[in-house]
Amino acid sequence: MEEFFQQLTNGLAVGGIYALIALGYTMVYGVLKLINFAHGDLFALGAYLGLTLLTSLGLNSRVGPLAGLALLVVFVTGLVALAGALLERAAYRPLRQSPRLSAVVSALGASIFIQNTIMLIYGSKIHVYPKGILPAVAVNIFGLQVPLVRILVFVVSLLLMAALFAFIQKTRLGTAIRAVAIDQDAARLMGINVDQVIMIVFLIGPGLGGVAGLLVGLYYGQVNFTMGWIYGLKAFTAAILGGIGNIPGAMLGGLILGVIEALGAAYVSVAWKDAIAFLVLIVILIARPKGLLGERVADKI
Amino acid sequence: MGMKRMLLWGCALMCTVLGMGTAWAAEPIRIGLMAPVTGAWASEGEEMRNIVNLLAEELNAQGGLLGRKIEVVLEDDGGDPRTASLAAQRLATQGIVAVVGTYGSSVTEASQSIYDEASILQIATGSTSIRLSEKNLKYFFRTCPRDDDQGRVAAQTIQKMGFKKVAILHDNTSYAKGLADESQALLKKSGIKVVFFDALTPGERDFTAILTKMKSADPEVIFFTGYYPELGLILRQKKEINWTIPVVGGDATNNPDLVKIAGKDAAEGYYFVSPPIPKDLPYEKTRAFLKNYGDKYNGAVPGSIWAVLAGDAFLSITDAIKATESTDVNKMAQYLHKSEHKTSGLTGEIGFNAKGDRVGDVYRVYRVDAAGAFILQEQ
Repeated sequence: MEEFFQQLTNGLAVGGIYALIALGYTMVYGVLKLINFAHGDLFALGAYLGLTLLTSLGLNSRVGPLAGLALLVVFVTGLVALAGALLERAAYRPLRQSPRLSAVVSALGASIFIQNTIMLIYGSKIHVYPKGILPAVAVNIFGLQVPLVRILVFVVSLLLMAALFAFIQKTRLGTAIRAVAIDQDAARLMGINVDQVIMIVFLIGPGLGGVAGLLVGLYYGQVNFTMGWIYGLKAFTAAILGGIGNIPGAMLGGLILGVIEALGAAYVSVAWKDAIAFLVLIVILIARPKGLLGERVADKI
Repeated sequence: MGMKRMLLWGCALMCTVLGMGTAWAAEPIRIGLMAPVTGAWASEGEEMRNIVNLLAEELNAQGGLLGRKIEVVLEDDGGDPRTASLAAQRLATQGIVAVVGTYGSSVTEASQSIYDEASILQIATGSTSIRLSEKNLKYFFRTCPRDDDQGRVAAQTIQKMGFKKVAILHDNTSYAKGLADESQALLKKSGIKVVFFDALTPGERDFTAILTKMKSADPEVIFFTGYYPELGLILRQKKEINWTIPVVGGDATNNPDLVKIAGKDAAEGYYFVSPPIPKDLPYEKTRAFLKNYGDKYNGAVPGSIWAVLAGDAFLSITDAIKATESTDVNKMAQYLHKSEHKTSGLTGEIGFNAKGDRVGDVYRVYRVDAAGAFILQEQ
């Protein structure tokens, strides 16, 4: 039983990261009906920018570790959000009126472009975050050894998701985003600046992806230029699992995927854990083709 | 006038032919080098080239072989099988008597039949895949050990350390899985229980689920056969959950980046089996050579044992030419296949068995110390 709970915490920590990245996929899909394949690479960009800022600015020594970390999160979010907005302007807006397939191809191209840009700037070798940014101690929760950083990563992703949920549900801008997701033309007739809303979605989604990249870098300590692919694939799966286009669905999908992977590894086979995760996805999609929370079309974003 | 002119031309022609004749006699012996000087393994290829060129230079300074100079003909294989087959075809047309190379197993495999058909002696340097020498190719040799050798040494090491329950983890690549299977069979044979045998997914970051599962199997040691990026994370995450089990690994973890990823405190005490690092080679001849290498290439020291094995391939070829006093491929191959032949190489005595595989122990055991350095262990 102890092993079960240990695996549960393992799965939730990984799932939190998946969920954070899945939000970016789901938001963009909600407003544009476009799978932003470059999202995983924006996540990798966040991890690399975090590394550069961490080593070059020396924030920790100037303003203390906690404030330094907070500033780092703000910088990385801002920069990756900016990159996301640029991406939208350069790769997706010119294709707004084209068939959806053109935009998908453009997304694939953008993914390759970003990945190779990172490789050309930073090189193809593995980069390592400096050690000791976060304390490497384990906390004892009901007899389980859980590393403090895992809890931190999990809490930070939950906080960010909650903040996003409140923003979408409670603010005027959030309402505008939901309106654009439901019907772009009607939203335009209601006086909503659709291009602006899409731009905002492309600031928030990649921004969250960038933070996820930073968290992965800080926690696992190792970044390489292809890391966006595997995380992007998992997060995309999570978004589909929860019902793509649905924000709580992405959160739920991410957490569930993480837990399925951990339990599949624990009770079936480590080598088969991805196969198990995808099998569960297939079963869920057969039973509920729109994903776990994907049916409430009116709420869809 | 016309007559005179003809005579003149005739003379000139004669001179040219004669001149060509003498030039023919002093024509250098050409030895090919196929190496990945570009691509992902470029650092390996560069060291291979530097080492072989330096050895050729030293040999030529002593007068060459059979009264002829040695010329090294380099072709880049880019670390890619398709590029390698083109490189092999180009080399095969350039009158080489033998070829050194190359590093990757799949890359070597793409060139094997081309050299074999052209009757060119090939000595691979870093290609450890078992099947390369199971094809009954008459002219194929290698100076590196095979993957099953590594499994044997790893199993022996674990046995010597006195562990009774082992967890084996691989990553499903053909190299890692082969090594894991090989060692599992050997460990079981010597009465050691394998309590966990599974694979991780390369490229992932979170191995806590695997570690938790492994821990519940209660092993005394972990044997990891994959590569250093994943192992670094495993060591790190293992420390985070306060699990102090020792870990032993294969030669794909022999990379300084391992310590960077894991951190010195998590990497300390990690054991791996690998051919010796060049600086640890105990031979006088090798030390002298490494010193010359440093003098020629701005103080650099070759970091890769596989590149040093390219030097050994070159030395085997030149030894065969010298001993047989010919550049006939059949005579050379016959000489190298003979069990009593031993070439004094940079990594010790080099001999080959009937398959062309190197005989003798090449693997050593290393331990990571508190400063993150790889320390050679007494045998």
